[in-house]
Amino acid sequence: MPCSPHPRAAARILLLAAMAASAAISGSSAAEPGGAGPGDGGAVAEQVRALFSSRCRECHGPDSQEGGLRLDIDPRRADETVAVVVAGSRGASALHDRVTSTDPDRRMPPRGKALSAEEIELVGAWIDAGAAWPEGTWRDPRLDHWAWQPVVRPDVPGSAVGAAAIDAFVAARLTESGLAPAPEADRRALIRRASFDLVGLPPTPEEVAAFEADLAPDAFERLVNRLLASPAHGERWARHWLDVAHYADSHGYERDQLRPHAWRYRDWVIDALNADKPYDAFLREQVAGDVIAPDDPAAVVASAFLVAGPWDFVGQVETQSAALRRQARADDLDDMLTQVMAAACGVTINCARCHDHKLDPIPQRDYTALAALLAGVTRGDRPVSPAAVAARDARQRELEELIRAATADVHALAAAPVDLADIVGGGDGSGNGVKGAGIDPRTGMARDRTPLSFLEGIEANRPVPGPSPLVAAVLVPDGSGPVRFTVDGDSIDGIPPTARQGWDAIRNGPVNAQASTTTAGIDYATAGHAILGLHANAAITFDLVAIRAKHPATSRHFRAVVAYGGRAEMAGAEFAVYLDGVRMAQGRLAQASPGEPLDILLPDEARHLTLVATDGGNGIGHDQIWFGDPRIEGTPSRPVDEPALAAARGRIETLRQELAALPETETVYGPVVQPPPPVQLLVRGDPEKPLGEIPPGLPGWIAVPVTHPLADAGDGQRRRALAEWITDRANPLTPRVIVNRLWHHHFGTGLVDTPSDFGTGGGRPSHPALLDWLAAELVDHGWSLKHIHRLICTSKTWRQRSHGVPGAAAGMAVDSGNRLLWRMSPRRLDAESYRDAVLAVSGTLDPARGGPGFRDFRVTEAYAPIYETIPVDRPELRRRSIYRCVVRGTPDVFLTTLDCPNPANLAPVRPRTTTALQSLAILNNDFTLRHAEAWAERLRKEAGDRPADQVRHGFQLAFGRDPDREEAAAGEALVAQAGFVQLCRMMLAANEFSAID
Amino acid sequence: MLFSIPPTGRRFCPSGRRAFLGALGGGLGCLGLDVALAADATRSGGGPRGALAPRPPMFPAQATAVIQIFCPGGMSHVDTFDYKPELVRRAGMPFDPDGKLEFFASRPGECMPSAWPFRQHGECGRWVSDLFPGLARHVDSIAFLHSMHAKSALHGPAMFMANSGFILPGFPSFGAWATYGLGSEAENLPAFVVLPDPRGLPPGGTVNWGAGFLPAVYQGTVLRTAANVPPIADLFPSAERADVRAGEPAGLGFLGAINRRHRDARGGDADLDARIEAFELAARLQLSAPEVGDLSGESALTLADYRLDDPDLGPFGRQCLLARRLVERGVRFVQIYCGAENTTALKIRPNWDSHEDLVRDHGYWGPILDAGASALLADLRDRGLLDSTLVIGSTEFGRQPAAQGKGRDHNPGAFTAWMAGGGVKGGVAHGSSDELGFKAEVDPTTWHDLHATALHLLGIDHERLTIYNNGIPRRLTDVHGRVLDAIVA
Repeated sequence: MPCSPHPRAAARILLLAAMAASAAISGSSAAEPGGAGPGDGGAVAEQVRALFSSRCRECHGPDSQEGGLRLDIDPRRADETVAVVVAGSRGASALHDRVTSTDPDRRMPPRGKALSAEEIELVGAWIDAGAAWPEGTWRDPRLDHWAWQPVVRPDVPGSAVGAAAIDAFVAARLTESGLAPAPEADRRALIRRASFDLVGLPPTPEEVAAFEADLAPDAFERLVNRLLASPAHGERWARHWLDVAHYADSHGYERDQLRPHAWRYRDWVIDALNADKPYDAFLREQVAGDVIAPDDPAAVVASAFLVAGPWDFVGQVETQSAALRRQARADDLDDMLTQVMAAACGVTINCARCHDHKLDPIPQRDYTALAALLAGVTRGDRPVSPAAVAARDARQRELEELIRAATADVHALAAAPVDLADIVGGGDGSGNGVKGAGIDPRTGMARDRTPLSFLEGIEANRPVPGPSPLVAAVLVPDGSGPVRFTVDGDSIDGIPPTARQGWDAIRNGPVNAQASTTTAGIDYATAGHAILGLHANAAITFDLVAIRAKHPATSRHFRAVVAYGGRAEMAGAEFAVYLDGVRMAQGRLAQASPGEPLDILLPDEARHLTLVATDGGNGIGHDQIWFGDPRIEGTPSRPVDEPALAAARGRIETLRQELAALPETETVYGPVVQPPPPVQLLVRGDPEKPLGEIPPGLPGWIAVPVTHPLADAGDGQRRRALAEWITDRANPLTPRVIVNRLWHHHFGTGLVDTPSDFGTGGGRPSHPALLDWLAAELVDHGWSLKHIHRLICTSKTWRQRSHGVPGAAAGMAVDSGNRLLWRMSPRRLDAESYRDAVLAVSGTLDPARGGPGFRDFRVTEAYAPIYETIPVDRPELRRRSIYRCVVRGTPDVFLTTLDCPNPANLAPVRPRTTTALQSLAILNNDFTLRHAEAWAERLRKEAGDRPADQVRHGFQLAFGRDPDREEAAAGEALVAQAGFVQLCRMMLAANEFSAID
Repeated sequence: MLFSIPPTGRRFCPSGRRAFLGALGGGLGCLGLDVALAADATRSGGGPRGALAPRPPMFPAQATAVIQIFCPGGMSHVDTFDYKPELVRRAGMPFDPDGKLEFFASRPGECMPSAWPFRQHGECGRWVSDLFPGLARHVDSIAFLHSMHAKSALHGPAMFMANSGFILPGFPSFGAWATYGLGSEAENLPAFVVLPDPRGLPPGGTVNWGAGFLPAVYQGTVLRTAANVPPIADLFPSAERADVRAGEPAGLGFLGAINRRHRDARGGDADLDARIEAFELAARLQLSAPEVGDLSGESALTLADYRLDDPDLGPFGRQCLLARRLVERGVRFVQIYCGAENTTALKIRPNWDSHEDLVRDHGYWGPILDAGASALLADLRDRGLLDSTLVIGSTEFGRQPAAQGKGRDHNPGAFTAWMAGGGVKGGVAHGSSDELGFKAEVDPTTWHDLHATALHLLGIDHERLTIYNNGIPRRLTDVHGRVLDAIVA
C-alpha cells in the first residue's frame, strides 16, 4: 500500500541519507555491523556514491525505486534479478550499459544531461575494480530511536515503590513545568470512574453507597480488586483488544458472508483477560497457539487472532483470474502481518510493503521476510480440537459399522429380498450400502457419489472383479462374439457392437445426467424403492452362489422393471439379462418406451446373473438404462424368529439414536494452514512484478536473538519463531506497547499518543522513564496485566479530580491537552459502554456470558447477504455489546454514529466526535426509547408510587447520586407534564450520563 | 480553543499542539491539514459546527460543492461514451487469438461492437451513443476522461478505490475528505449526504461513504427517500411513539437545564458545551431535513423534467432533484448511486454489472441515468448553480470490448468518467483508450488524478490534505495524483 511520508519526516530522511556514506539499511539486517572499510578504493567508491546521490536518487533512492533499484545503497544486491552491477566487468553491468546508451529511451539518467565522459569513466573504473561499496562505515541513526532500545528499569524519583512510583514520575514532570497534581476526586466520581474503566458498567446505587460509607484506608484498593475480579472486567477489556485485532463476525468486502464460528476467539480473549493470562502467553497463543499446543482447544482458538480481519471472498476464491487472486492474497497477508506487528509491537510494518520504510529503519526485505512467516496461514473454519474430531469420527465409523451389521442381521432374520442396487452401493443387499455410490466398470473399484462423465482409458471386454464377493465382475462390453462375463472365463454371445465408450459408474441410484427415474407412475428414486443405474456401455455380473450363502431362501426369482432414463425419443439404448451365459431377456428402450417388468426364475444351481447395457450402435449419448427395484426374492427357508428380529431392530434404533446424538465438533474461524508458498520481494508491492524469493526471517533492527532456524521451516516453526521473537524478554517493544495501551484506556491518552506506532513517526513518550518502569513491572510480575491495572488505578495520578482543580488555569495555559497529567482528563463513554450503561440502568441487561453473538439484524440470503436492523424486542438483544455479532459491510448505525469504529480498520484509538446526529440517535433510536420505557417501569416497581421517590431513584441509577432540590423539582415537573418515559429519555441523553469525571 | 477557526494562513499549522509536542522533544511537528485540530477535538471536544464550520480553501476555489453520480457494477464505456469504430470493423472476430487473457469471470469471446449507434453532438462534436440522448445534449459542458483505468477488477475493491483512493476497505471516502477540508455551508443539514439507490446499498455497503480514520463527523449521512420514513435515521421517534414526541419540548427544556447545571458545576468544559450545542443543532435538523424532501415548492415543469411520475425513471430522478436541493442549501458533497448490490431483485441486474445480457441491463439502466443526470445538469445550469457545482459521473471500472455471451465482463483497463460544471472545461476529452477500448492508451488516468483534480477545483491541494494514521500521514490520493489541467477551465 503506497503511502506518503510526512513532508518534514521525509526531509529528515534526506538529511540522514546525505549524512550517510552508504545507507546500508536495505540488507537483511539494518543493524548488521562490520564489513570492509572503503580501503584503497574508498575514495573512488565515495565519488561514485556521491554521483549516484546527485543524479540517480530521485528515482533510485529511498523514496522511489524505479525498477526495484536503489543506488543510495550497495547496488550489487540487485544482482539477484538483473545484473545491474557485475563486479569486475563494466561490459556485463546493465548500469554501465544504461549510462552509456545512445537510445534516449534507454539512456540513464532519463532527464537532464547525460553523464559526462569523466563520470562514466569513474563508474566504469569503479565496476572494473570490484565495485566496492563502503559497507559498514555508517550506522543508520534511526537505529538509535528510543523505542528500539532495551527496557531498563529506571530509578524512581524519591525511591517510591508501587503505585507511588507512578506519582513520583508524574510529579517530577509536573514540577519541571511549574505545575502541581490535582487533589483526589470525590468518592462518587472515583467509583464511577473505576467501574466504567475496569468493567465498563456503571456502579449500582448500592455499590456507590457502600463505597461512600467504607472509611477503611484500603477501601479503594478493595474496590479495584473487586472490579478486577469481576467477569465483567474481561468483557470490557476484550473490547479494547478486539479493536486492535479488527475482529468482526463477517468477512467484509463485497460478499460479506457471516463467520458463524468466529465468536470463540472473542470468548477466548474475555476469558484470558479475566484469568490474567500472562501477557507473553496471551500473545504467543494468538500468533501460534495452534502450533505450540495443538491439543489444547483454547490455544487453537487463540490463534484465530491472526484471521480476525476482513477477507475478500470474491478476490480470493470467486474470480477466474489468477492475477486478481494473487493481488487479493497479497492484501490478505498484508492485513495479517500489519495487524500482528501493530497490535503486539507498535510497528507500522505496512509502510515497508512496497518500498523501504520511509521513517523507520525497516527495509522492504524485512517486511517480505516477516510476511513469509505468515505465508502458511489462510482463513477459514477449523476444528478447535483435532483429537475430539478424531474421536468423534472414529465413534461415527464404529456406529455406522454396527448399524450395517445389525441391518444385515435384520435382513437375514426377516428373509427379505436381496436388493442388487444395494450391492452396487457397497452393501450386502440388505440396505446397508450407500445410496448413489457405485462401481467403476473399468476397474471394479468402488466409487463414491461423485459423478463421473466420459470414462477415459477404456479396455473393452475385460472383466474385472467387483469390490465385494457378491459382484463376480464388471466390464465394458462390445461385439457379438463370445464375450467373457466373469473373471474365470465364462462367456456370452450376442452382444452387439458398441462404441466402446462409457459414462459414469454403475450406480446404486440414477447415473450422472439421468433425466427420469419414473416408469408406470412409480418414481423409483423415492423411499422404499431402489434403482440400479447402468449407463451404456457397461455390464455387471452378480455371484449368485455368494448371494445365496448370505441370504438363505428357496424358489428364487430375479424381479425388476427395466426402463430408460435418457432424453432420446427414438434410438435409445439396449439392455440384456443373462443367466450363466444364457440370454433371458433383451430389448431396446427409448423415451417413449414403457418400462419392462422382468421376472426370471433362478434355479438353485445358477451361478451368475449378468445385466448389460449397450448403446444401440449410435454412440453413448442419452443411453441411461436403469433397473427399478432389482431384487432377488424367494421363500424363506426357515420360519422367521420374531423375538430375535425385534431385538435386532431395537439395536438399530438405539445405534441410530446415538449416531444422531453425536455432538457437532466445535469449530472456530481460525488459521487454516497450508505449506507456505515462496514469498517474493515485489516491485512496489505488485504481485505481478516479483524480484526474487525472500526466505522467512525476523528483523534485525531490534536486538532479539533468533533461536529457531528458519530455512526450510514449515508454517509451525515460522509462526512459533515469530511468537517467540515478539515475546522474547529482549524485545523492548512488546511490554512498552501493552502498558501504554492500558495507560491509554485508563487516561484517555497514552504516554505515547500513537499506541500502535512506536516508530520515529509516532508520538514521543510524555514520560519515558515511567513507560519503561511500567514495562519492567509488567515483565517482572509475570506479565500480569492486572498488576499494571492495579498500579495505575491505585495511583494518586489516576485518582485526581478532573474538575474543580485549583491549578487549572496554569494547567490549561501550559498543557491544555493534559499530557503532563495535572488533572484527570474528563472522558466520555464510548459507543458500546453507552449502550451497556443504558441496559444496566434500565434494569434490562441480560448478563448471559459467552457463546454465539446476538444478531440485532435480519439476514436475507442473496449474492451478498442483506442485513437489516431489527427492533430490540428479544432478551438476547439486551446482552452486553461485546457479544454483538458484528457485520463489517453493514455496521450498526446507532453505534457507528457514536464513534464505534469500522472493523475494517485497526483502531488503537477511538476518535471522539460530537454531532447533531448523535443527539438524534440518543433521543430517538428504537434502542434508547425502548429502554427509557423499561427504565420508567423499573422506577415504578422499585421506588413506589411517589414521583419524588422515582425521580430520586432515577438520578441514583443514572448518575450515582441524589438530585438536589431544584433538579428534583424539575424532574417531577417534567413527569407531571410529559410522563416518566420522557424523563428517562432525557436522562439517557444527559451529559452526566455519558461523562466520566 | 478547540475547533474555533484559526485565522486563515495559520490554519494548517495550529500552533498549540506543535508547541506542546516540541516541548516534549519530538513528535510530528506541523502536520498537513487539521490533524492537530481533529486531535484536539478528540481530546477536548469541540462544537459540532466547529468540525463542520465552513473553512476557506487553500486557494481560490472554482467549485464549492460536489454532486457525484456513481453507477456501480461497471458501466460499459464502449457502449456509451467511448466511440470505437474499430470494434465495429472487427465484430465477430476473435478478441484474444492467443487465448492468454483471463478476465474476472470468463475468457474473452469475440469482438462485440456497441449495442447502440454513436453520433457526434454539440459544437464540440464529441461522440455519445444513442443510449444517452439526454446527456448528449450537454456534451459542450462535459469533460470526458476516456483513459481512466482501475486498480482492481473486483467490485468491492474497485468501489473502495473509486471512493477512497485505496482498494482496501476502511479509508476515508472522497466526500469525507472534502468536508474534512472545507467544512460545510449548510448549518442545519449534514455536510456530506448520500442518496443510495432505492433498491439497496452498492457493493461494499456503507463503508463506501465512511469516514475511515477521519472523525465520524465527516462520514456520509444517508438521506432516505422512501415514503413514510423520516429522511434521516432517528430524526424523530418512530410514528407509534406520538406521546414521546408530544412531550419533547418539555423534555428538552429539562435536558438543557440539567446539562447546563452539570457543566456549570465543572467550571466549563468544551466537550460538554459542544454536546449541549449538538442537541440544539439536532432540533434545527429536524426542521430542515424534511424540508429538503418536500417538493411541493417545485414547479410542475421541474418535476416533469426529472420524470418523477415514471415508475422506472422517477426514483433516480428524485435523487437527482434532491441533490440539487441539497446543494442549494449549502451541502458540500452529495453522492447519488444509480444502481445497487445486495438485492434479491431478479431478471434485470440490480446495477450495471451486465455479464449475461448487456442490452437488457444497460438498456434498463441507461435511460434511468440519462433522464436524471441530464435533468440535473440542465436544472443546475438554469439556476446558475452549475458554475459552482462540480458534477462527476463515474463507475468503478469499464466493460470488455469482447463478448461474454450476450454481455461483457469487467474491464479495469479502461473506462470513461465525466465531469461538468464547477470550473471544468466543457466539450473536451482527456486521454483515450486503445482502438478497441481494452486499455487506457493516451494519458492513462487514475482515480487519484480524478480526485486530485476535483480537490483542486474545490481549492484544495491534494498533497496537503492529510491525517496521520498507523504511521503515515494519509491522503485521498495516496502518493499519487496529478491535477488534469487539460479539463480545468
